[in-house]
Amino acid sequence: MPHTSPPATQLQTPVALRRDGIVRLAHGVNAPLVAALRHPWVESIVRLSAVEDALAALHPLLSLTQVRARVVRVNDETASTKTFVLQPNALWLGAQAGQYVRVQMEIAGRRVERSYSLSSRPGSRHLAITVKRQDQGLVSRHLHDKVKVGDVLTISQALGEFSMPVDLPGKILLLSAGSGITPVMAMLRDLQGRRYQGDVVFLHVCHMPDDLIFARQLAAIAGEFAELSLVVHYSTAEGRFSPEALALEVPDLAQRSTWMCGPIGFMDVVAAYWHAQGLAAPLFSERFVAAPLLPSTAHGTPVQVSLLNGSATFTTQGTEPLLVQAERAGLSPKHGCRIGICRSCQCVKTSGTVENLQTGELSSTPNELIRLCVSMARSDVVLAL
Amino acid sequence: MSFAKPTTLSREQVAEFEREVNAIRDGVMNHLGQADVDHMRNMIHVSRASEIGGRALLHFGLGPLSWVAGVLALANAKILDNMEIGHNVMHGQYDWTGDPALNSQTFEWDIACDGEQWRHSHNVTHHTYTNILGKDRDLGYSLLRMTDEQKWKPRHWFQPLANLMLAMGFQYGVGSHDLEIGRYKHGAMPKAEFKARLDRFLTKVGKVWFKDYLLFPALALWSAPRVLAGNFCANLIRNLWTYLIIFCGHFTEGVAIYREEDTRKETRGDWYIRQLSGSSNLTGGRLFHIMSGHLSHQIEHHLFPDMPAHRYPEVAPQIQALCRKYGLFYNTGSLFRQYATVMKRILTYTLPPKRVPV
Repeated sequence: MPHTSPPATQLQTPVALRRDGIVRLAHGVNAPLVAALRHPWVESIVRLSAVEDALAALHPLLSLTQVRARVVRVNDETASTKTFVLQPNALWLGAQAGQYVRVQMEIAGRRVERSYSLSSRPGSRHLAITVKRQDQGLVSRHLHDKVKVGDVLTISQALGEFSMPVDLPGKILLLSAGSGITPVMAMLRDLQGRRYQGDVVFLHVCHMPDDLIFARQLAAIAGEFAELSLVVHYSTAEGRFSPEALALEVPDLAQRSTWMCGPIGFMDVVAAYWHAQGLAAPLFSERFVAAPLLPSTAHGTPVQVSLLNGSATFTTQGTEPLLVQAERAGLSPKHGCRIGICRSCQCVKTSGTVENLQTGELSSTPNELIRLCVSMARSDVVLAL
Repeated sequence: MSFAKPTTLSREQVAEFEREVNAIRDGVMNHLGQADVDHMRNMIHVSRASEIGGRALLHFGLGPLSWVAGVLALANAKILDNMEIGHNVMHGQYDWTGDPALNSQTFEWDIACDGEQWRHSHNVTHHTYTNILGKDRDLGYSLLRMTDEQKWKPRHWFQPLANLMLAMGFQYGVGSHDLEIGRYKHGAMPKAEFKARLDRFLTKVGKVWFKDYLLFPALALWSAPRVLAGNFCANLIRNLWTYLIIFCGHFTEGVAIYREEDTRKETRGDWYIRQLSGSSNLTGGRLFHIMSGHLSHQIEHHLFPDMPAHRYPEVAPQIQALCRKYGLFYNTGSLFRQYATVMKRILTYTLPPKRVPV
């Protein structure tokens, strides 16, 4: 899940909406139509899911509720990285450079979601996500091995607050490492598209030339975009990237508004250096964290349970299931049998590790349905109650 | 028919039985995948196609033959929506897929029973307290006397008639079940609570009546009577079929009934044995199992209510083998034979109990 450090208010820019005729029409008609179809009396005559299935049968991109996108091209960037160029349907509202989308897929019957930064220029006809194949990654492997041109993916609207303001600063640094290049690539394309007159340094860190994602495109942009100085640091040849190397490559660091994305370790080092040096220029970062298997605590260790809407937080006591813990904390979640049969107490666990008391199974999957009466919190947990 | 005798199995045997049943469950639940969700979506597509075809025949068909075909197609759609789709989805058998269209807590079906009230009366009450007299409200549906332990009252003379009425209007029986009229009458339920439940039920009845008896007939213009009669008959067929299947699941001969005090200290293993002894199966082919929503495997369903139902035929032989091993009765038979024993029970308990000489 990506998450950004700067507050949203610093970065307010109007979402670049595509407003050609068909899109405007679709948006005008869509909202009231969906509202009507969701009305309980209408739903009892025809289910929205039936309407959606019928539309999808007519054309796979047709939907009243979902942004769907057809894969129009798959580019090999490196041996382990592919770019999927997508044609979204009319529900797509557009994105700002730096934002990401959640890609939803069904793998072996289960819905799974992953977030990917867009690498395409905002306002361009197609979207692009660039995905590195992880050997253990369910979704990235599926995308690499199964998804081909012509397939349709379901995606979210653009999300995230990692973006650039309307009024651009005079000096910019776009700093990335590894597959963190994707959102800053969109920013670079955006700067070029906006005919940015200031001075931009694009500094990317990777192991060796074979690992350089967007090598061709970067070279092409560097040829056309006079304001850009492109620096690639190959750590195999030039040694591990350090803040000192950064200061050497970018001597006027203190004056450059910086947007950064890369592995956690890389960004932590840069951010620490930034603060230690007391640099005045703002540093914005996009953190991508793969769904972690949170370390589970021993049975009975008190952990924090919080509700997603912020209405309550409590600490567990003992080894009783979450339903009992919540009731002890004064909450009254919906429940029925209390022995794991009826699912009345089922709710979404947004994050954290729980143990299924019937099977002993531990699970840290984000946004998963759990039954409170047979689930024990084994780490801090957030519930959408 | 009297209360189940305490099991002759030792505590160790019950625990071992529990482990073996769990292993059968894990054997399926750890291998759920695309085939399961494809089966359910396929059923949904068949049901929708059948509904569209049935309504089209009723609306635009000419002559009695197309009317009969339309009624059968619509009844088929309603039966599938009720049994193989609605009942199973609402049990949470497909919650693992994460597909919002298959979410147990939000699914709503085409029947006079409100989904939320069903989830309570069926998933909570019936599946937790199966065949515990006084707790499982499905036992005779508060209407029929099905065991010696229920006190005979003069109204039970009309039991065969009540049974017929329940069969014909089964969706209303199921729909009004969670109102718990008896509890309200005895003052055990506050009026506001009863009123809220009644409103919910009547709203749902309003919705299905509006659809089948007002909107679609009105759309048919001069064919309105034909469509109205067709919709009524399709609902009637669905009522009779669901009644038949459901009554054969728990009211056959040899199904055990429990006392609440005997079940208070139940382990999961005891619970499994109660579910097993309180249910009865029907034999048949794949089509029959699908049309019954796999409630023809009532035993497996009660052991594993959240296992995708089309997997029951696969686990049934394993459960049956386990029953042989532990000397437990696995109640199964043809629809005809099982229903005959249900009717026998209904008729037997119509009569007041014979006075036992002191």
